[in-house]
Amino acid sequence: MRAVVSIAVSMITLISAASAQSSNPLAHLTLEQLGNVEVTTATKEPAEMRNTPSAIYVLTAEDIRRSGARTLPDALRLVPGVEVAQIDSSKWSVGIRGFGTRLSKSVLVLIDGRSVYTPLFAGVYWEMQDVLLEDIDRIEVIRGPGGTVWGSNAVNGVINIITKSAKDTRGTLISAGGGNVEQGFAGIRYGGANGRFAYRLYGKGFTRGPEYHPNGDNFDDWRRGQFGFRTDSNITDRDDLTIQGDIYRSVVGQELGVSYYSPPSLVTIQKNIDLSGGNLLGRWRHRFQGGSDLQLQAYFDRTDRGDINFREIRNTYDIDFIHHFQLRRQDIIWGAGMRLSPSQFFQVVPTVDFEPHHETYKLFTGFVQDEFAIVPGRLSLTVGTKLEHNSYSGFDAQPSTRILWTPSEHQSVWASFTHAVRTPSRIEEGFQFTALAVKSIPLYLRLIGDGNFSPEKMNGYEIGYRASLGPKLFLDIASFYNHYNDLLSVENLPPVPESSPLPTHYILPIYLRNGIEGNTKGFEIAPAWQPMQRWRLKATYSYLHLDVRRKPGSDDASTVQQTEGASPHNSATFQSLLDLSTNLQLDLTIRYVGNLQFPKIPAYTTADARFAYRLNKSIELSVTGRNLLQPHHFEFSGDPNGPVGIKRSLYGQILYTR
Amino acid sequence: MKGERQPGETLSDHGSFRLLVLLGAMCFLLLPLVGRAQTRKPTEFDVKAAYLFNFGKFVKWPSSVGSDSDTFSICVLGANPFGPVLESTVSGEKIDGRSVTVRRITLASQAAGCRILFVSSSEKDRLGSIMPAVSRLPVLTVSDISGFVDRRGMIEFVMDHDRVRFEVNLTAAEQAGLTLSSELLKVATSVKREGQAGD
Repeated sequence: MRAVVSIAVSMITLISAASAQSSNPLAHLTLEQLGNVEVTTATKEPAEMRNTPSAIYVLTAEDIRRSGARTLPDALRLVPGVEVAQIDSSKWSVGIRGFGTRLSKSVLVLIDGRSVYTPLFAGVYWEMQDVLLEDIDRIEVIRGPGGTVWGSNAVNGVINIITKSAKDTRGTLISAGGGNVEQGFAGIRYGGANGRFAYRLYGKGFTRGPEYHPNGDNFDDWRRGQFGFRTDSNITDRDDLTIQGDIYRSVVGQELGVSYYSPPSLVTIQKNIDLSGGNLLGRWRHRFQGGSDLQLQAYFDRTDRGDINFREIRNTYDIDFIHHFQLRRQDIIWGAGMRLSPSQFFQVVPTVDFEPHHETYKLFTGFVQDEFAIVPGRLSLTVGTKLEHNSYSGFDAQPSTRILWTPSEHQSVWASFTHAVRTPSRIEEGFQFTALAVKSIPLYLRLIGDGNFSPEKMNGYEIGYRASLGPKLFLDIASFYNHYNDLLSVENLPPVPESSPLPTHYILPIYLRNGIEGNTKGFEIAPAWQPMQRWRLKATYSYLHLDVRRKPGSDDASTVQQTEGASPHNSATFQSLLDLSTNLQLDLTIRYVGNLQFPKIPAYTTADARFAYRLNKSIELSVTGRNLLQPHHFEFSGDPNGPVGIKRSLYGQILYTR
Repeated sequence: MKGERQPGETLSDHGSFRLLVLLGAMCFLLLPLVGRAQTRKPTEFDVKAAYLFNFGKFVKWPSSVGSDSDTFSICVLGANPFGPVLESTVSGEKIDGRSVTVRRITLASQAAGCRILFVSSSEKDRLGSIMPAVSRLPVLTVSDISGFVDRRGMIEFVMDHDRVRFEVNLTAAEQAGLTLSSELLKVATSVKREGQAGD
């Protein structure tokens, strides 16, 4: 009996010891030993997502690496609310909450604070913008109007691509690989640091083959090379300075229908077009004694686009500052900026023209935003506005108000109202595009931007909820109702004869006006679940209802159908990121995109998979398959011969880091 | 780990034999409790929590601090990135005879009773108002916010490939009246004295 009691006592001691002592086996290591423990990458939702009263989604460097994406638009497919449709090998349509087009006119895209939105067409040429993917620290996507801080044309959202500080990219990195579509790619980067100063240099290049053309006309191969640098330094204890720059050149296969005033009146031209450019950016941040800080940024960006039917060289000079300070319960940011963008247009064909050929776009901006802690740590109200003056449409204001309620550390609710504006581009200001309509007459359609276009306006109402349901499950829900007014419409007048240039022909003038209004509503859900340390699951579901109509007095016959038909109602993604062992990773993504009415594209489901093997501390080998479920599938239309199929693709990669 | 046996007992004693079998079975139940933490690779926060606990042994606070209090508080300001790990790291442990507890705080002004303050990365944009409030207090400030030691933070966690290391701002600690042991300074990747570049 005594034996039983002693054993029982020892058992109880053992059990209580197991729970009373630290259950972190690392707790009793020495400091030196702790410094040698190898850790797995922890999952934490980036802090930005927790405390921001907007629908923000962050793609981390690891998310991008394990998605198998080789281009920025492909990486964006994983973000809820973002619609990405690939047009051909080098062109994508990207939109946020609707209005996806080749040029993404209502989405502001920034790389390290530099706007890559062109005032020529009001949009982003995705094939002109690139970064070394391994240098990306994160991509922050804000669905919904960018609010006061971000700037003009952030009407439907902001995509902010942020690269790593040079302090975080020390050593050598070499990445190389190839496959059937991404036929060859290589990137090399070297970074070093010396006390307060860190730098990196990189170069990258790739060649991509054509996608699937039903008529066998494989014109859309392209290749690109880019190199650049970045330096980050703490020049004093209170000052940080970043300087970075890139130069690139790209040769892209394109096909376009071009009209002429005399026979042959319509020709399909295939050409390898030349795109090149570069940029230089400096950013200085100073922290004052009292805790406030000031940031001054200046950049120069040059683009030279020699397209089939026009050529444009544009130099952009931008300078802006932001001052951030705190009062007792208020967090205030304000700033101002100026951008000058002189451009030169070269007429290549008689039917495409911008007037004047030499023109400078001027933009002056100011903003202020005050975050007021009504109940510190629990309830805050943010009020602000952006004020802008641009050389096309003059002055506009974009006010916004947001509220954030954090009832507990695990949940937050936010709501916002924003008024946003999409200012005119050169197309609406001084542009003529003439296309053959009926050869026998001959009759041409002429799209005319004559400066009688007002900015498009939007009022956005949003509400969202974020919760950590336990340590392993995170949920993010956002919903919105956006009302649009003065959207672009095309209004035509009866045909008139024209005899310059000869031969005499008829022109149907189509003017760009603001004859469309409408609304969008929808929601996005994005849960993230980590059932085990080594296994992460993420999903997104996006629903969009887009309803536009003609305003009284408008004769537009096509925009309503085109706008409503170009965005899917539903889309969803599902991702599984699994560490099979410390050396093996298996990543799987399944993507569904609903059908489009105009262009007529059926719904599709496809999958990407990546298998990576870490050979040793320096080398990782991986194989990635994309668009695996069909030999090819259609996503969008944009080339003269109808939709181009996006092929099933496979590529292998070696990644060396030291 | 296995159940203890009283000296003199033999397996031939049927009652004890059954008990031993029962003990063996129960140990299998206990194994997961004790062994679980070791079957997965530690996260950066497992290591940071262990560091925070360990720093307490290598720092001397001025005698004015909490001579009458019998707890050693580690405080976390802002969103909690540790989950339950920090609490479970310190539970049952003592530093200098004081039992170690973890407190969550939302405002810098609540840091007065803390020995160690971990500033979460969620507070990154509020350092301008946090640091002046805590820099003069006898509190060891630790964070993983990039550039923390340049803003009068005392210890900043940095990642070196897959390892967690830390940098020290010695001047900031001295100005708050704290003495950092040479053993701590030896292991730091860099020790910054204000007015000089760190090595």
